[in-house]
Amino acid sequence: MLVDFEIIKRAQAGEAPAFNEIVLAYRKRTLGTIARLISRPEDVEDVAQEVFLRLYFSLDQLRTAEVFEPWLYRLTVNAAYDYLRKHRRRMESRMSDLSEQQVVLADAMAGGRVDHDARQRKQISEAVDAMLSAVSEADRILLTLKEVEGLSLKELEKIYRVKENALKVRLFRARQRVLKAFGEAGKLPSAKGAAKADMEV
Amino acid sequence: MNWTNRGDDDAVLDALFRAYREACPDADVSANFMPELWRRIEERQRSVFFLGRWARALVTGAAVLSLAMAAYLYIPHGRSSVFSVESYVEALAAGHAQDTPDLPPSVDEL
Repeated sequence: MLVDFEIIKRAQAGEAPAFNEIVLAYRKRTLGTIARLISRPEDVEDVAQEVFLRLYFSLDQLRTAEVFEPWLYRLTVNAAYDYLRKHRRRMESRMSDLSEQQVVLADAMAGGRVDHDARQRKQISEAVDAMLSAVSEADRILLTLKEVEGLSLKELEKIYRVKENALKVRLFRARQRVLKAFGEAGKLPSAKGAAKADMEV
Repeated sequence: MNWTNRGDDDAVLDALFRAYREACPDADVSANFMPELWRRIEERQRSVFFLGRWARALVTGAAVLSLAMAAYLYIPHGRSSVFSVESYVEALAAGHAQDTPDLPPSVDEL
């Protein structure tokens, strides 16, 4: 936990400075998660504010310290999900939007052959964003939390409130759907480069 | 890493996700983040407050209207009203008298 439960209790009692402290402690992490979930830098702060707004008005429901972080993640996921659903049409940058150049770059990135300068970061981000746009918002969020955010199955269990086995199945299916969509478009970067990157890790 | 045990596609996906994670590091917020957050909190509090007031006013209005209607129905009115006819049969008779067509006289009467 980034803050003491005592601070959360004070925030529950309506102390604005305590709530500010919670926001200050978690805003960077929350913004990063949202940025990776929605891939729209211009809207990240707006969604983050919605998360903390929901936190403020539901804080009194929190009973124990250990559920705070999964709960904040849950609020983040819900706000990101709402955003993605609302902007579905705008987000529908289908597989055709993934230019050959992006695929080549993603391939090179997976192989660790390029430097992470700003332009390339943007391009790899767009490539993965286009890849995740091929699946549902729920799949996108689950995959991002597990594969990009690096959350464990135990943590996901608390966020989604489902059993680990059910999560494994959902993750497996989500991965299959991404691979299928990417494979059907014939744009999956070569395994060679990715394998090389894995070996280096 | 045991990437060789998995499909090549899975390995590509893992590598891409890792590259994506590196490409999108945690970013800090703008200076306007906290003031804007508090503005939204206060705005929501205000709207909740006004909604509560409207709801209370609506409930009060509905209660007053119900009482007024109950009082109107309870207080007896003059006999001119159709509701004041003493029985259903009387009401029917009264209505029938008005609705009876003017029949021509029968042959016997002529």
